[in-house]
Amino acid sequence: MSIRICNLPFNSSFAPQPRARISSRRSTRVFARTENDTQQQLNLSVLRFTFGIPGLDESYLPRWLGYGFGSLLLLNHFSASVPINEPQLRSEALGLSLAAFSIALPYIGKFLKGSVVEQRTLPEEGEQVFVISSNIGDSLKEDLAWATYVLLRNTSTIAVLVSIQGELCVRGYWNCPDQMSKAQLHDWFKKKVDEIGLADVKETLYFPQYEGSSASWDILPNGTRSLFVQPFVQDINEQQKMNGFLLVASTAGYAYSDKDRAWIGAMAEKFRG
Amino acid sequence: MEARIILQIQIPWNPNRQSSRRPSLHLPRSFIRASSSTSQKPRSYKGPKPSTNLVADFISSNDDLARSLPIYVGGASLLAVLFNRTVSGIAPVADASSSQSRADLLALGLAVTNLLTGLVWLSIRPKSITPVNPEGVDCKVVDSDLPVSIVSELLWAWESLKVATCCKSLVIVYNGICLIQIGMVAESPQDKKRVIVNTDKLMQGSVYRGVMKSKAQSYLANLSLYPGRSELAFLPANTQAVILQPLGDKGIAVIGGNTIRGFTSSDQAWISSIGEKLDATLGRYFIDSAEGSRENY
Repeated sequence: MSIRICNLPFNSSFAPQPRARISSRRSTRVFARTENDTQQQLNLSVLRFTFGIPGLDESYLPRWLGYGFGSLLLLNHFSASVPINEPQLRSEALGLSLAAFSIALPYIGKFLKGSVVEQRTLPEEGEQVFVISSNIGDSLKEDLAWATYVLLRNTSTIAVLVSIQGELCVRGYWNCPDQMSKAQLHDWFKKKVDEIGLADVKETLYFPQYEGSSASWDILPNGTRSLFVQPFVQDINEQQKMNGFLLVASTAGYAYSDKDRAWIGAMAEKFRG
Repeated sequence: MEARIILQIQIPWNPNRQSSRRPSLHLPRSFIRASSSTSQKPRSYKGPKPSTNLVADFISSNDDLARSLPIYVGGASLLAVLFNRTVSGIAPVADASSSQSRADLLALGLAVTNLLTGLVWLSIRPKSITPVNPEGVDCKVVDSDLPVSIVSELLWAWESLKVATCCKSLVIVYNGICLIQIGMVAESPQDKKRVIVNTDKLMQGSVYRGVMKSKAQSYLANLSLYPGRSELAFLPANTQAVILQPLGDKGIAVIGGNTIRGFTSSDQAWISSIGEKLDATLGRYFIDSAEGSRENY
């Protein structure tokens, strides 16, 4: 009996079943060859194919087919003899709406459970910065250094900013002027954060499509596609807790799933006091 | 610890950039800059609020329906094409001679694409595993000799695990002492109270030794298959998955979950980061207290 520790729980067809649960009847199958005899549902994994070209994502195939067939339909329409009869118009309308639906399919597929999250890319310009305010104690500095490091490593974040009662810790790729000393950079960030008024945010903000929304904060690097702001104090009655917020940005769209946001909230709890 | 967490972060470069078309959200722009720069209280936030994406919400909540949607669309269009042909009196012959036939063929091709995409989506549906409620008693036992800062850090770790993962039980043993036993705990049959962690038995067992030797996290995705299960007698009997996280070389954190394969790879990464942090904190405290007691002699 082999025990396989499965790091990707989303792949249903290939999960091993323990011996005790094997049923004696064979499951119905669409095609003859299957990976696992004990599947109780139709095994359609044979339908998945790949061209084998590295870097080519076959999940976008419906979109390309939609564009291709849609343009062929239009070509057909304009090259036909002028009195186009009604059945053809109906077919073409049906074909064009199918093409539009196919083009939208990869977008819909992104929201299904188990879809692959985009990888982040590093911004082309800008450098990494790491600035911690000098007005905070050593143990808090350590906590901040660890928390920002972990956020950059475990999520697809490229830029993180933590503000605790006005004192900042900034790490990652930011759109800030170079040739500034650490203290000057800290004050510069503080001024920018005050201008945006982020300290006053009362609830979590999540912009999964940052470039399409009307937020445009110039401290974020070019190419930022997701943004998540988690304030510490969410209840106005909790005045004795520490004030502040945690901001993470990523170059991947829809980068922060529910689980990622739960973990980021847990990180914010650490500084809440 | 500052020396280790250094300024240069090596973030792996991934050239596989997916750039797909996305509909943009239009929000009214209401960004007002306040002019006073000497006010003490924080300026109020006038930036945009994120809008709700109806499509994403609908799909996330109706996952099964969304997966089979392309199949219905494809199937319905196939039938519609044939129906169109019969209604308009043209023979359903698939040749590319007339432009009507060509339009029909293209529509059929798209319908088949949709059908196959729907079938692929159905095939990659993740298996939904129901969580199993752990049987035992709820308890919260923290070692009484620990200072407040350590206790709050341990409790923070428990709260994070409880909220973000399927964790239902947490036991941390460090330096031979059980520091915290929190969450669902097995109930001892004799006196109906919690089973106390026998640290000696745990540390001599194969589970602990294996983890300490490999110095790496161990993920038992389906605990019922694991023969060393008897050494973790303090966990509820029907705990489904366990992560054993070594804390340096002096301690271990035992994290029990209520779903088979319930901890994702992201959870595992977070748990190992938290393990390193706890090891640094606890290690420093125990070294300081050992030095303190040595000075007293």
